[in-house]
Amino acid sequence: MAVPKAAVALRHVKSVMVRFCPFQTNVETTRIFLEHVNSKKARASNINCVVTTDVRHDGSEPVVDIMFADGDRLIMKGANLTAAEMLSAFNSRCIAKDLKAEEKTKKKGA
Amino acid sequence: MHFERQKLMAVTEYIAPKPAVPEKCITPYIKAVKEENGYAKLLRWQVVETFRESKMIAVCQHNFTPSEEMLLMKHRLRKHNIQVKFFPNEIVRPYLSVSKYKNLLPLFVGFNLMLVSPEIKVKEMLRILKNVPQINLLGACIDDTILSKQGVINYSKLPTMEITQGQVVGTLSLLASQACALLQHSSVQLTALLDQYIKQQSGGAGETDRKAGEGQAELGPAKSSAGL
Repeated sequence: MAVPKAAVALRHVKSVMVRFCPFQTNVETTRIFLEHVNSKKARASNINCVVTTDVRHDGSEPVVDIMFADGDRLIMKGANLTAAEMLSAFNSRCIAKDLKAEEKTKKKGA
Repeated sequence: MHFERQKLMAVTEYIAPKPAVPEKCITPYIKAVKEENGYAKLLRWQVVETFRESKMIAVCQHNFTPSEEMLLMKHRLRKHNIQVKFFPNEIVRPYLSVSKYKNLLPLFVGFNLMLVSPEIKVKEMLRILKNVPQINLLGACIDDTILSKQGVINYSKLPTMEITQGQVVGTLSLLASQACALLQHSSVQLTALLDQYIKQQSGGAGETDRKAGEGQAELGPAKSSAGL
């Protein structure tokens, strides 16, 4: 289970909501994702980002709901995903948004 | 060649000795028994002790917390005799699978911490954990009962033991007191009615006496005037 060491950058994220039921067996990857999102560097990259954790006991599947600053929403159902997949999906979207922002600034500058 | 010579040559042909089977193939490969790390033994002993002594064990997921906040939280919990313990999952899981806490196994995944205490002080613990958003309560084992987070919140809202006992005693004695009241109801009502009647009578009698007294006073002077 290779977990990338690259820090999670929460620059473009408005809020993260993680919901899981800890007594189930398929929540490991979601919990690992949550730990990465709550890491020191991630917190430092965006202080305004709100990370909420919803711990329930109703047998529902683990869900990660990320609201981006430009209105996009990423919902990941972690029951059958590995932590690496979740992080790479999230990181790829962050990088795409970075590129968009750079293009915008270039256009404005030019 | 002559047949006899041929036979002799065949019989006395050099047979090279077979190479001996190397030892590696014969002796079975004995895996050296890895002796357990002394530190692991100590941790396991500590886990057993912790589970045996504490009545309340809460398992929380530990996301990164700055050290000052962690220190403050530990200090506040210590005031209520709640200790914060960290154990590696590899040591806790085998112990749990053997002991009676089997259903806590799925909780011990990732980075956790345990809050243990010989007393049960759920409200204070929940209040302190609310101040630290990075620590999420996953579940607890209070008095040999495994509770989820919602269960812990419900438990904290329950009244204390004395109040509950008082309520139970009150409910049990309610039946007897109701029966008593029902039996005495008729006689009590009769007594009250009679009291009311007596009051009315005494009030009415007082009025008639007063009137009789006035009438006599009138007759008196009349009689005396008649007598004169």
